[in-house]
Amino acid sequence: MSADNKNTQNDIILEVKNMTKSYDGHVVLNNINTTIRKGEVISIIGPSGCGKSTFLRSLNLLETPTDGQVLFHGTDLTDPTVNINHIREKIGMVFQHFNLFPNMTIKDNLMLAPMKVAQMPKEEASALADSLLKRVGLSDKADTYPNMLSGGQKQRVAIARALAMNPEVMLFDEPTSALDPEMVGEVLSIMKELAQSGMTMIVVTHEMGFAREVSSRCMFFADTIIKEENTPAEIFDNPQTDRLKDFLSKVL
Amino acid sequence: MQRMNSRRKSILSAMHIAILAMFLLVSSFALTACGSKTAKNTVFSVDDIPGKTIGVQLGTTGDIYVSDYEEDGSNTKVERFNKGADAVQALKQGKIDAVIIDSQPAQAFVDANNDLTILEEEFVEEDYAMCISKSNSALKNRINEALEYLKAQGTLEAIINNYIGENAGKTPYVSPANVTRNNGTLTVATNAYFSPYEYYEGGSIVGIDMDMCQAIADYLGMDLHIEDMEFDSVITAVQSGKADIGASGMTVTEERLKNIDFTNTYTTASQVIIVRDDNASASGANIGEKFKSDFLTANRYQYILKGLGNTLLITVCAALLGIIIGFIIAVIRSNHDMTGHLKIANFLCNIYLTVIRGTPTMVQLLIIYYIIFGSVNINKIIVAILAFGINSGAYVAEIVRSGIMSIDIGQSEAARSLGLTYRQTMVNVIFPQAVKNVLPALTNEFIVLLKETSISGYIGLTDLTRGGDIIRSITYDAMLPLLGVALIYLVIVMILSTFVKKLERRLRSNERR
Repeated sequence: MSADNKNTQNDIILEVKNMTKSYDGHVVLNNINTTIRKGEVISIIGPSGCGKSTFLRSLNLLETPTDGQVLFHGTDLTDPTVNINHIREKIGMVFQHFNLFPNMTIKDNLMLAPMKVAQMPKEEASALADSLLKRVGLSDKADTYPNMLSGGQKQRVAIARALAMNPEVMLFDEPTSALDPEMVGEVLSIMKELAQSGMTMIVVTHEMGFAREVSSRCMFFADTIIKEENTPAEIFDNPQTDRLKDFLSKVL
Repeated sequence: MQRMNSRRKSILSAMHIAILAMFLLVSSFALTACGSKTAKNTVFSVDDIPGKTIGVQLGTTGDIYVSDYEEDGSNTKVERFNKGADAVQALKQGKIDAVIIDSQPAQAFVDANNDLTILEEEFVEEDYAMCISKSNSALKNRINEALEYLKAQGTLEAIINNYIGENAGKTPYVSPANVTRNNGTLTVATNAYFSPYEYYEGGSIVGIDMDMCQAIADYLGMDLHIEDMEFDSVITAVQSGKADIGASGMTVTEERLKNIDFTNTYTTASQVIIVRDDNASASGANIGEKFKSDFLTANRYQYILKGLGNTLLITVCAALLGIIIGFIIAVIRSNHDMTGHLKIANFLCNIYLTVIRGTPTMVQLLIIYYIIFGSVNINKIIVAILAFGINSGAYVAEIVRSGIMSIDIGQSEAARSLGLTYRQTMVNVIFPQAVKNVLPALTNEFIVLLKETSISGYIGLTDLTRGGDIIRSITYDAMLPLLGVALIYLVIVMILSTFVKKLERRLRSNERR
């Protein structure tokens, strides 16, 4: 699953070039460069306020970079003439606070984008929703509303909703941070299965166990830059910078 | 859940019954209050007027003459009413000391109220004429020619005698059979609360002025069209071209001549003083007779029905227009709030909101009718729908915007991350939640709108309130028409509230276990 041995151009899904983001002159991200290849599972760790989430949200342009480029299969998302909606279809996203649509049933949450965006016929969308709900183990909740689910169940639905558009890459923005501890496991196990199925994933997380065990590459964000980037084994067992050593001593 | 629902339902209807019962209780208090003694009469001649409180109809010659007393230091108060009947009602209740009004309608008032009397001494003599725009001297000359012809033929005298005097009803005016009407339409503005010159009978406007105008139209070979409106709007309507002439028992005064021209005079009348008659026994009509004369005689309930129809039509269409305007503006404004785009559109929306919310609805209605559509012949219902719709749109816009802003930003981020466009996100995700949140505030706005339409009478529309007013002007009974109209508004609002409560509960069903 590691991308190291297939270094062809076709494998590159996302490319970030010289990306800078600042709010009112306050720099959050400073000249970030990285490449994300098909099949990679990338964990992003770092202290709070270091720009992890801003970086992740820039990848589907929920945040607009102040400077630099984000290329998806070579198409620059920051170009105003690019139809960002078409590209977002291929970049799934899971949020810390789930953001399920409370006015729709679970199944309708899953069917909305396939029907409205991908113009899928209703029967087909319904079958797709059923199979995705089965995959996350929530078939019995199809006709209930989001407020009747536990946090863990909501996040599993949110993952299924993002999968419904058959994305090429999935972005996870602290997917377990808002959960009660006993519900973290069910969400992580779904994510683990997803990684094993070959899905390209970028995960902002505080779950060091997940980062170490599941990801193929780990990025440590600090001081507005990617301070360290390496395999999880190297990051956790052989940290190079004092900043990372200090961070790990606090979270492990 | 089922049990709770049915219990709640019964509580609702019990509350409704309680409200209606309280309404009837208040009404019966009003009934008994009517029978109680009012103050003794203090005005016995013109000399008694200084220092008293005098009722007049706004803009009439009585108003103009009595206003002189206001400024002479005698502490005379003038109360100006929109209708003569309202002034008479206030006199009966002792709120004012005397009413100064034209002699003929005064006679009609006194005939209908045996506790009132007219002082023998006349207040002032005056000549009636029709008002006409200063820029329309061609029509003025033709009308004067017609008027002189009618005087010479004795037609005018016959018309007046048909309404006044012992031979009343014996010489009705009938249009000649061979009239050809190729010269267009003569539009006459009037205020049909001024018996016997102009008043409602059997659903149409009749009276001396109206028959005379018909005779003039016949002579000129024109169709006659009558527009009923408030008395103080008649001159404005003629000035702005809404009507060709105003025939409303109008006296030529210097003040009026500044703004408008007059035809030759067609009759002489006098302003008289109505006071309470201390010797008379209290009015004898019991509630049943009043009800009969207010609603059943000559199918007078039809005025209420017709008014109710217009009120509902205006309210529903204006609400729809308000929703459309409100949603468009709310989307522009919330888009601006969130993204900073649409600066110019947002600026224009802000102007609209400030102007509409910063001026009274009635003033807006009058501006739209007399200024914006001043020279256009347009259906008044459409004018009212536009005015109330544009007004309501401003309030709906802010309500809906607050609803949109109350939805967590994560909702639209989630939708956009799935590839939904801004519009799809709004329609499928944001609006359904926003509308549910603001439904109580929106209901409230539509209740306000329904009641606000009661000012439609100012542009001469027969809405529910004016329907009651017409009956009031015929029967000179204020209580039952007013209470009846109030009851109808109350019932509509209660039906609307119940319906929205049910809708709200259905929308909230996904939030309950």
